[in-house]
Amino acid sequence: MSLYIKMPEENEPLPSLKRARGKLLWISSVDHKQLGIMYLWLALFFFIIGGLQAMIIRAQLSWPENHLVSPEMYSQIFTMHGTTMIFLVLMPALIGLGTYLIPLMIGANDMAFPRLNAFSFWMTCMGGVLLYFSFLAGGGPKAGWFNYPPLSEMNYTSTAGVDYYLVGLILTGIGSIGAALNFVTTVLCMRSPEMKLNMLPLFVWMMFVNAFLMLAAFPLLNSGLFLNLLDRQFDAHFFIPSSGGSALLWQHFFWAFGHPEVYILALPAFGIISEVIPVFSRRPIFGYKFVAASTVAIALLSYSVWAHHMFTVGLSNAVNSFFAISSMLIGIPTGLKVINWIGTMYKGSIRLTIPMFFAIAFLIDFTLGGLSGISFAIVPIDWQLTDTYYLVAHIHYVFLGGSLFGIFAGIYYWFPKISGRKLSKRLGKWHFWLFVIGFNLTFFLQHILGMIGMPRRIYTYPDLPYWKVLNLFSSIGAFFMFTGMAVFFWNIYTTLKKPRTVTSNPWNAWTLEWAVPSPPNLKNFVEIPPVHSRRPLWDLDHPDKPDKRLN
Amino acid sequence: MTLTFSLETTNVELINNLFIYFLVVAAIIFFLVVFYIFYYLYKYNSEKRPDLPEQREGSVKVEIFLTSLATTITAVFVYLTISTMGKVQNIPENPEPFLQITGHQWWWEAKYPNSGVTTANQIHIPVGKKVLLQLNSADVIHSWWVPELGRKMDMIPGNTNYMWLYADKEGEYLGTCSEFCGQAHARMRIRVTAQNPKDFEAWQTQQLKPVATSENSNFIEGKRLFEQKTCTNCHAINGTPYQANIGPNLTHFASRKRFLADMKINNKENLKEWLEDPQKVKSGAHMPNFIFSKKELNALVTYIHNLK
Ligand code: HEC
Ligand SMILES: [Cu+2]
Repeated sequence: MSLYIKMPEENEPLPSLKRARGKLLWISSVDHKQLGIMYLWLALFFFIIGGLQAMIIRAQLSWPENHLVSPEMYSQIFTMHGTTMIFLVLMPALIGLGTYLIPLMIGANDMAFPRLNAFSFWMTCMGGVLLYFSFLAGGGPKAGWFNYPPLSEMNYTSTAGVDYYLVGLILTGIGSIGAALNFVTTVLCMRSPEMKLNMLPLFVWMMFVNAFLMLAAFPLLNSGLFLNLLDRQFDAHFFIPSSGGSALLWQHFFWAFGHPEVYILALPAFGIISEVIPVFSRRPIFGYKFVAASTVAIALLSYSVWAHHMFTVGLSNAVNSFFAISSMLIGIPTGLKVINWIGTMYKGSIRLTIPMFFAIAFLIDFTLGGLSGISFAIVPIDWQLTDTYYLVAHIHYVFLGGSLFGIFAGIYYWFPKISGRKLSKRLGKWHFWLFVIGFNLTFFLQHILGMIGMPRRIYTYPDLPYWKVLNLFSSIGAFFMFTGMAVFFWNIYTTLKKPRTVTSNPWNAWTLEWAVPSPPNLKNFVEIPPVHSRRPLWDLDHPDKPDKRLN
Repeated sequence: MTLTFSLETTNVELINNLFIYFLVVAAIIFFLVVFYIFYYLYKYNSEKRPDLPEQREGSVKVEIFLTSLATTITAVFVYLTISTMGKVQNIPENPEPFLQITGHQWWWEAKYPNSGVTTANQIHIPVGKKVLLQLNSADVIHSWWVPELGRKMDMIPGNTNYMWLYADKEGEYLGTCSEFCGQAHARMRIRVTAQNPKDFEAWQTQQLKPVATSENSNFIEGKRLFEQKTCTNCHAINGTPYQANIGPNLTHFASRKRFLADMKINNKENLKEWLEDPQKVKSGAHMPNFIFSKKELNALVTYIHNLK
């Protein structure tokens, strides 16, 4: 029998938009749940835009010498596609999930700095608005999402797009730094007094480690962006070789941010997967300590791998060897994680829900993306394949197969908590199959395109053997993904129209967010359940065989 | 009698072999991952095993075993990487390049320092000889890549890079600029013609000949226009005071099979089209649109097309 008897809670939900001054109550909110939800909507909004850009890209490349968009427009579209998806979709989606869930999962009523939380969100939002405002101010940025100078300098790109890119990303960067500060402080100071650091749910742990990565990475990006802005607006010469600057300096700045960024987008997804797989296998995570420690290993190593984005710039063999070794090493803790997730399923009792579907797709496609990543650490292979469609395939396997599938799993998993309604399983399956099949069709073929010589970022290509058919099928895959996304939106839309029916713990999960009603009240916890292990709700449900006590 | 085996593998073969080793190992790992996932999904499905499973925490032995295995595989690939890298990219202390290529938005300038030949876009090399390539850029970052002849190497303004190029068979090899360099990046393709050494010598001799002359009135008119219409501000003709380097050197333009960085076949129609409206042909190209009358156009085309 449980010794813990829940206190009755009064029902005070988040403010409704329909209520008087409801909109104001959202815009001016400092509540972590409202901000988390707004982050998610922001990500969804930009996902539509970035997705439409991707569709234009695939339509343009469907066959050789296509003239759907002009070369100039194409440069803007692919630049904005990458920038949008990374800074305005994946980042806000993951930060949003963290903002919503971290306090709930550690038994806190809000973040440590609620106003900083709101500030971070609105900075990110403002950055996105500025980025897109460029289209009204003479054209979007068009030097690629990593904006290499000298191309991004005034003499080669004189439209204001790049300036909007720089200022916009500085703002989203400030937002990310704020969010990271908040995550770190919240986890350190706001935990339920009984929850020791080694009892954190893995999602929280990974967001926590991740926040340190963000704290160190984004200032690097922002300083680089700022220098480039000085070059463009005040005739500085940081990155202009003809007047004494260095084009490579930018690449060091950018990738010293950019590679940690890859893990910044991956670790939260790892966290989600580490929650979803155990819950739906009905078993605790296999090797909690190894999963947690390998996260730290990844975070530390991710700072010494940036030059693997620069293996073709002509660094010496000695320098390249160093970065090759560190890049290969980082594969070990990452691979270990995959093994632990699979190990969690071993001798479990696996429930095939939609979050679990996406977790499985994550395991498979992220493994593929991780393996193709290793091929770039093998320097001579990188010398052939970098900056081709093989690389495009790789990043999409990591960012979609990894981060996005993780986010999908997370959204299907926590949607009942956030909204009080479960997303339809039938529509979820349609979404899953359309998207996952389309994804693999689109991007698997791109490995081959890269191997037969197709470089990235070209608006068209000559009719060389196999290029046409591979590109056409790649585009068809994109259409499947597009349809899958339409189903997903339809699913969200129709589900939100239904009444709230979900109980506090619909999946039989174990972490604290499932102890409160779905959706949670404005004040998260009237009383925090006892926490003695990593699975407090398991202990409550199974008083006869609780987990080993950790405090 | 001496028996000589050529055990020398080309750089491209070395890289291909390495890629195959990688593919084999990656395929095995991927297969195992997929296999175990589906096997467990099937075997431990909740419909088959509705009871609450045993709550085990994992196994340190398994973790250590697999980590060691992964570390061993990694060590092998570290070794292969470093040794192959040393073989592919072994540039002498004081490099004496056979060929210097400079990337421009959006064409390639090629110089042969030994013979003094300067040309553009259509690049010739002798077969059976490892040639040392020097790479520079005149403006933004470009990247040289002809997959069948060697590695890829960036051309970075302010830096000089070197790499080896090797063709073992005669023929035409296609490549492309692989770093986004602006609007016409897609049109910055490479064509390398590998010739037997005799043909290559002949080509060089021909490229060193003084610029063509003719008594044809159209030719003379074209030459006059070429000088008058500021073409010479950007294009060089050897043996004249006009040595600008904004556009390709045109001294032996007509000897090239293709032009505009492998975009168009070099014939009179295409040339005319180009001179009529460069932006229509290659959007973004740094050549202005001159508005010529039909007569002027004909004269210019006659002139340029006789620059053999
Ligand atoms: C402002 C500089 C500039 C001027 C003036 C100029 N060109 Fe060009 N031209 C270029 C550039 C740059 C290219 C290379 C375009 C490319 O491939 O992207 C080029 C390419 C060419 C080519 C093709 C060369 C090849 O091998 O691909 C021809 C022929 C040519 N120009 C002829 C002319 C003629 C004739 C004139 C005068 C009527 C002229 N150009 C004036 C800059 C100029
Ligand atoms: Cu280029």
